[in-house]
Amino acid sequence: EVINATKLCTVGTRNKTWSQGRKAGVQRYLSTQTQEEGLPDTVQLSDSCVKQLKQLDENGCLRVIVESGGCSGFQYKFDLDATVNEDDHLFEKDGAKVVVDTDSLDFLKGCTIDFHEELIRSAFRIINNPRAEQGCSCGASFAVKL
Amino acid sequence: VSKKRMIPTRAPLVLTQAAVNKIKALTQEQPDVLGLKIGVKTRGCNGLSYTLDYVKQKAKFDEEVLQDGVRVLIDSKAQLTLLGTEMDYEETKLESGFVFNNPNIKGTCGCGESFSL
Repeated sequence: EVINATKLCTVGTRNKTWSQGRKAGVQRYLSTQTQEEGLPDTVQLSDSCVKQLKQLDENGCLRVIVESGGCSGFQYKFDLDATVNEDDHLFEKDGAKVVVDTDSLDFLKGCTIDFHEELIRSAFRIINNPRAEQGCSCGASFAVKL
Repeated sequence: VSKKRMIPTRAPLVLTQAAVNKIKALTQEQPDVLGLKIGVKTRGCNGLSYTLDYVKQKAKFDEEVLQDGVRVLIDSKAQLTLLGTEMDYEETKLESGFVFNNPNIKGTCGCGESFSL
């Protein structure tokens, strides 16, 4: 039992340093990422997304938010919003408008916003996000690539 | 003299009015289709997720649910998991889809797409 206890201790400390190291890694990655990889500072809108947004036929635009949560660390949220704030980036294609705030754009650079239609469910989704690593199968949640 | 007690059979699946309307609209577009078929498959972070397809033929062990002229088939593998489920259709501006209110499930993924029993 003594052996077991010491074993647990070492595992515990290793996990702690590992998570701290990972946190630092994420921060370093986030600060240098744009210079290193030169990802485009924009998001793409797919044709189906443009079509659906036009069908909604409102003055508002689609707001895409990335927040922490979901089973893989981060998750996408979609909303209709009429106001464009100061730190927002506006993307437009054929009259369809999408706004992304600066913090969320960090996680969305180079991705495509799509409207996916299936028999069971149709909804907006994010595809081809170069920053996202395997997420939840539903596509709502993702982990950041390190 | 014992009479066999009749146990009322419960429909394995109940459709809400919204779901009935939607399925009606979907099947009317395709006249050669018999109805919709619900299945489950192993997928997602919580084990299982629902599938929905058009069917042209009833398979041998499919359970058939007829409600207000709408036909829904349940795949033999999905019958136990779906027992007593209410099938609803929800539509908002941003997304629309079928929702299954299943009393048997123990946990779901945050997005609600996958579940465990």
